[in-house]
Amino acid sequence: MRCSYGLTAIPGTDARFFSPETSFLQLRRTFQPTRIKFGSFKIKAKIDEARKEMSFYELLGISERGTSLEIKQAYKQLARKYHPDVSPPDRVEEYTERFIRVQEAYETLSDPRRRALYDKDLALGIHLAFSARRRYQYDEDLEDRSEWKNRWQSQLSELKRRSRNRDAGGNMSWGARMRRQREELSKEL
Amino acid sequence: MASSIFRTNYLPLQQYQDGYNPIYRKFRSNGVAVAQLETGNANNERNTMAKRGQQATQIKRLLNFSGKEPSTPLLDTINHPIDTKNLSIQELGKLADELREEVVYTVSNTGGHLSASLGVAELTVALHHVFDTPKDKIIWDVGHQSYPHKILTGRRSRMHSIRQTCGLAGFPKREESIHDAFGTGHSSTSISAGLGMAVGRDLLGKNNNVIAVIGDGAMTAGMAYEALNNAGYLDTNLIIILNDNKQVSLPTATIDGPAPPVGALSKALKKLQSSREFHQLREAAKGITKQIGGQTHEIAAKFDSHMRGVVGGSGASLFEELGLYYIGPVDGHNVEDLVYVLNEVRSMPAPGPVLIHVITEKGKGYAPAEIAPDKMHGVVKFDPKSGKQMKNKSATRSYTQYFAESLIAEADEDDKIVGIHAAMSGGTGLNLFQKRFPDRCFDVGIAEQHAVTFAAGLASKGLKPFCAIYSSFLQRGFDQVAHDVDLQKLPVRFAIDRAGLVGADGPTHCGSFDTTFLACLPNMVVMAPSNETELMHMVATAAAIDDRPSCFRYPRGNGIGSILPPNNKGTPLQIGKGRVLREGSGRVAILGYGTIVQSCMKAAEQLQMLGISTTVADARFCKPIDGDLLRQLAREHEILITAEEGSIGGFSTHVSHFLCLNGLLDGKLKWRPMVLPDRYIDHGSQSDQIEEAGLRSKHIAATVLSLLGQTRGGM
Repeated sequence: MRCSYGLTAIPGTDARFFSPETSFLQLRRTFQPTRIKFGSFKIKAKIDEARKEMSFYELLGISERGTSLEIKQAYKQLARKYHPDVSPPDRVEEYTERFIRVQEAYETLSDPRRRALYDKDLALGIHLAFSARRRYQYDEDLEDRSEWKNRWQSQLSELKRRSRNRDAGGNMSWGARMRRQREELSKEL
Repeated sequence: MASSIFRTNYLPLQQYQDGYNPIYRKFRSNGVAVAQLETGNANNERNTMAKRGQQATQIKRLLNFSGKEPSTPLLDTINHPIDTKNLSIQELGKLADELREEVVYTVSNTGGHLSASLGVAELTVALHHVFDTPKDKIIWDVGHQSYPHKILTGRRSRMHSIRQTCGLAGFPKREESIHDAFGTGHSSTSISAGLGMAVGRDLLGKNNNVIAVIGDGAMTAGMAYEALNNAGYLDTNLIIILNDNKQVSLPTATIDGPAPPVGALSKALKKLQSSREFHQLREAAKGITKQIGGQTHEIAAKFDSHMRGVVGGSGASLFEELGLYYIGPVDGHNVEDLVYVLNEVRSMPAPGPVLIHVITEKGKGYAPAEIAPDKMHGVVKFDPKSGKQMKNKSATRSYTQYFAESLIAEADEDDKIVGIHAAMSGGTGLNLFQKRFPDRCFDVGIAEQHAVTFAAGLASKGLKPFCAIYSSFLQRGFDQVAHDVDLQKLPVRFAIDRAGLVGADGPTHCGSFDTTFLACLPNMVVMAPSNETELMHMVATAAAIDDRPSCFRYPRGNGIGSILPPNNKGTPLQIGKGRVLREGSGRVAILGYGTIVQSCMKAAEQLQMLGISTTVADARFCKPIDGDLLRQLAREHEILITAEEGSIGGFSTHVSHFLCLNGLLDGKLKWRPMVLPDRYIDHGSQSDQIEEAGLRSKHIAATVLSLLGQTRGGM
């Protein structure tokens, strides 16, 4: 099977767009036992993940400050390594599991938004798969709000700065003229 | 099951931008209705979410929507807005919640506008805390969100009378209170008025603050931009609060759910809210250029400024281009943030015109409103525990519905028929049309002027546009009707709903003037049905008139139960021909225009009991007027009463004009018009208003009797 991410072609297989499901379909033809275990794989993978507590970064073998390019390169390398079709026959299960996790890691880390949320979680010591989407939406709202606060605080200080110099002599707008007049009047009184 | 019950005020509900309705279950707990978001995820995730929700909220409060009068210890101490200045931030937040309870309690008993007020509870509290009305001027655009403002400004004890005869008005009203700086009701007027007040303040040498609160829906109207532009130019101190609840286009709802936001403006505002994407893109772009190296730096810099314009800054730069300083987005439900920002701006000596972009959620804090497709914008009496409205079951349906159905019947046979409305999908009945013909129904946002000329453009290409606009809202587009439609004789059809007296909304929404300002236009065909069957025929007539503009008006209310044509498909009437409904043998004739004909019939029956035989006719057309019918009535009777639910200058004036020019007033005929009085009729029930206007059947009969030289007690 040819993976769309540029793995070397394996003779005699069709080019197909990769997805975890299709890889298992392929597997099904060659390895009967795995088909039965398909459902439990994902859950097991998650539990293993949580238990092993290996972060996505560790999984991909990059530092937490890795750029998106580094992430992509790491993913490609690992995907090539752990792809079920090229993994050693006796360790297919393990490798496939790893592959899925690497896939997940890439999908999370390559999306800047998801990555930011994931980083936050990591800081809090929680590691969950990206499938908890609703939670992220909620967290996003919280994130948004704290970002908003920073933004308007800087806007306010800028406005203060501008307002100090606003009515300087050069400003001929109607409002500025009126304000200057009023200032002068109040000074006279 | 781990039943995590969310605090209603802090439930992070999704907005319905893609028309998707999550599954909700409502639980009742100690008389408090809560909504639980059913996501289908595992229980442990929901618990995590609940825990996070609780961590995120500083104050947890269960609001009392039990239907009993809420206990409002803080609100009870507020008799004047100045009393809010003594409260701490915590207390202000609690006050906002008490206001919510009070609003829900009040509106559940009286009906009115609900969710708009709930969304601005914190904003109202913050404004009164920071500013000093009546010295400072707060202008509420449209005004339907002003209930908390009214409660805080000494009208709490009268809130039970809101929108009722002799009670509080449903919108700010200068005559009602000094704290109501400007009367609103039609949208998008607040910035203009605010600018006027600010300039007036400057000319008079005063130094109060002027604050205009406008919603994102109202920002679709051109007038708001006219005002912003002028404000930027004049550079006077003015605070504009853009209350953004992502409800661009009044969500009076389509059949299937909320109307998604209209137009590019909502996208722009949405982008303003999520600067995150912009920052992320910048970071990503920086990362790439770091990798690739120096030459791309220029490109990246251009990318940066371009993206700033496209993503995060598009809305902000629009306001800034107009000369306003943009601050935001600010969380509109966080009193602390609001008070801080407002105080900062207030303390600056020369901020100039400032626009504060505040994000709120319509209906916030009351779960049934938050999850309703139309957010319970306008409601009748309802049960506060469940949010269920107690709509009267009536034998007949509203004129609006009959109109929509007959338009659909016409459009079924003629695919050139299109419908246009200005953000009033439910109100005009075009939500039904939209469901049937989604590509042939256009919601232009609150922009009547544009709607009219847009329809004119469509008509010039051979399409058959039906513009469904309320009578009082069409006032705004009069020049477009006159210049763009009538002058060029383009066949635009105007379906004028809410013609005549409208009840609780009051004079701001009263449709008294449409006959006057439309019948004076040379090319316009002006008609009015006397019942729902006639309405359907008139829809067909309008569809058939293809060489000139036409209009027909119908009131707020339900039909009389006349027999409808099969499949709701009307037949075109003969233009310029009325009909005689009741042939009398005496000297009296009553000629009605519109649904008042029903009252004329009743008056005839009352007169019959006194032995007076009356002819009743339905004019159908004001323009071209049925001259033959008028001649017949004038020659065969001595007394002619014309009646309409419109102002002077309308149907009766056209009748008088005709009679004069044809010498029919030179003889024995006594002609009397019955129109709406030359004053504004206050809000109340429609029945009370008609009584006040003197257009009931008994008044018509009394007029006849007075002309006959008789008076009857008890009439």
